[in-house]
Amino acid sequence: MNRPSSLAFRLIAAAAVVSIVLLAAAGILLSSLFTAAVERSLDARLQAVMDGLLASVELEGGKPKMNRQLADTRFELPLNGWYWQISQVGGTAENQLASTSLLDERLPITQFDDPGRADGVRQAGYMRDKSGNQLRVIEQRFNLFGSKEQYSFLIAGNFDELQGEVSAFNNALIAVLGLLGAGLVAAIFIQVRFGLRPLSALQIELARIREGEEVRISGSYPDEIQTVTGELNQLLDANTEIIERARTQVGNLAHALKTPLSVLTNEAGIHGGPLGSKVAEQAGIMRDQVSMYLDRARRAARAHTIGTLCDPNEVVKALVRTLERIHIEQGTRVETSYAPAVRFRGERQDLEEMVGNLLDNAFKWSGGKISAAVRPAMHPPDTRISWLDIVVEDNGPGLPDGGAEIAMQRGRRLDETKPGSGLGLNIVFETASMYGGRLTLGKSRLGGLEAVLTLPATGGQG
Amino acid sequence: MRLLVVEDDPDLNRQLVSALSDAGYAVDSASDGEDGHFLGDTEPYDAVILDLGLPVMDGVSVLEAWRREGRTMPVLILTARDRWSDKVAGFDAGADDYVAKPFHMEEVLARVRALLRRASGNASSELSCGDLVVDTASARVTVAGNPVKLTSLEFRLLSYMIHHKGKVISRTELVEHLYDQDFDRDSNTIEVFVGRLRKKLGIDVLKTIRGLGYCLSEPDEQA
Repeated sequence: MNRPSSLAFRLIAAAAVVSIVLLAAAGILLSSLFTAAVERSLDARLQAVMDGLLASVELEGGKPKMNRQLADTRFELPLNGWYWQISQVGGTAENQLASTSLLDERLPITQFDDPGRADGVRQAGYMRDKSGNQLRVIEQRFNLFGSKEQYSFLIAGNFDELQGEVSAFNNALIAVLGLLGAGLVAAIFIQVRFGLRPLSALQIELARIREGEEVRISGSYPDEIQTVTGELNQLLDANTEIIERARTQVGNLAHALKTPLSVLTNEAGIHGGPLGSKVAEQAGIMRDQVSMYLDRARRAARAHTIGTLCDPNEVVKALVRTLERIHIEQGTRVETSYAPAVRFRGERQDLEEMVGNLLDNAFKWSGGKISAAVRPAMHPPDTRISWLDIVVEDNGPGLPDGGAEIAMQRGRRLDETKPGSGLGLNIVFETASMYGGRLTLGKSRLGGLEAVLTLPATGGQG
Repeated sequence: MRLLVVEDDPDLNRQLVSALSDAGYAVDSASDGEDGHFLGDTEPYDAVILDLGLPVMDGVSVLEAWRREGRTMPVLILTARDRWSDKVAGFDAGADDYVAKPFHMEEVLARVRALLRRASGNASSELSCGDLVVDTASARVTVAGNPVKLTSLEFRLLSYMIHHKGKVISRTELVEHLYDQDFDRDSNTIEVFVGRLRKKLGIDVLKTIRGLGYCLSEPDEQA
């Protein structure tokens, strides 16, 4: 979920970045508002001192002089950051008066110089004293009674003392905003997980389609995903349709070629002679080639089918029923056993071809007894998925030693006296391999051949 | 024995008709499913050779329609589609046997003989009645081991009678099964053929059942 390429990561990261930026901006704004409030309340206190100072000062020969002491003792401790200072603008040191806390220090007033400024207008600012205290300073300028000179009244408060309050507020602010941020990210995470849940459901359903347990996407999804599933379903349908069409065309080709081949063969048989036998021979080769390549084309056409399932029990049942009718005069008894829960993971037609050929062989060779069984695989080639066995046995002569390999080769026939093109077991072998399965030939308990076809399955165990 | 061939390819149709006629059967033919279905539904055929890939109405539908309508004659299907699913579909529709294209004519002939024999309840291709033996595979007739030479129509008549041994066959039924549909039917000619056949066989197996028709049975049964 947290891989950089995941959708959830993108959503969460984007939301986290936005909330962090907004929260930080809010923090900065709140902090500066608080600092401004602290500043204002300090300014109010300094203004009160200023008013007291104004009431206590008088000029004596151009020099400012206190006619009584200020009540506030803070202005007496040396260099504690609380100062007042009266100075003649542009005047000398003689024309200055300052709090005892300032000792011989004097605070510069040039930063408040402003020619256009009216009498009594308050200015405020920050500066540092000699001992490094951060000072909040207010300054007002007046023409004192009895003088033409302008005097600067300056009151400084120690801002560092208030800094503690500001940092306490900032710490609380950071804690609260941090918590809020974490809460938001968690909420976004939950929201994204909840919001993306249909995608996981879709993924599971697609996996089921690939596994062949479903043919189309059937679940209901939110509108945004429903459009995608609609398209996917159409794609699946189109895929199935293309395969169907290819298969139909291959079938049509087969039909189109086989009828003229019959005509050629028969005409050659009627007329005889060297030409007739040549035509018959070549028509025979053509017949084998046609069936070989059609078989390949059919298999290629379905190699990419999206997984389907079919019931192997039904296939065996139908084939036994058909073969019993084909070989009705033989009176062969077929003993069957089924595994109703087992499904073959593949095309029904493929299974029919494989089982049909195995059963057909059994009917050709049996001495009247055949057994056909569907069961979960006894020796699965790969334990990660389920497998099924289809076991066909007969009481015929069986295969000679070493005959199994030869029997599975294309066009090889161990006995030329029985009819057949020699493609039967090879088709079974190749089709089974295509599905990752296998065909094992052995000795049956009935006395003849035992063919075990192992194929991928679902349902049943093993 | 009267057969119906339903095959849309004109060459193959002609070959089947001529091979089956040469083998001693009366043969009708149709080249599409609808005609084929109509003939099979209205004429009493002893067996049908039915192609599955037919225009107008496909073979499986034709076959299903016949079986639904209670037509029970044996049907041999010809199919280029030799997949097992096609065979299962064919047999489930009511076919009795199949031959996959491309095929050798001998195979069709052998399957038709087997179907006819099976339909009459005989296990061997040699059908006998007393000293009379008819080999349907080689179209040879012997009486007490001596070969008897018959014309095509005489063989057809004897073959039909021996396939229905012990049953009373009316003249009309004989006409229907001995001639194809284009033949100018006259049941009086049957009497002429029966007379000739009796003379050639020399044994009394072919009896006239007055007012009903003919019956082929062992000579001593009458006694």
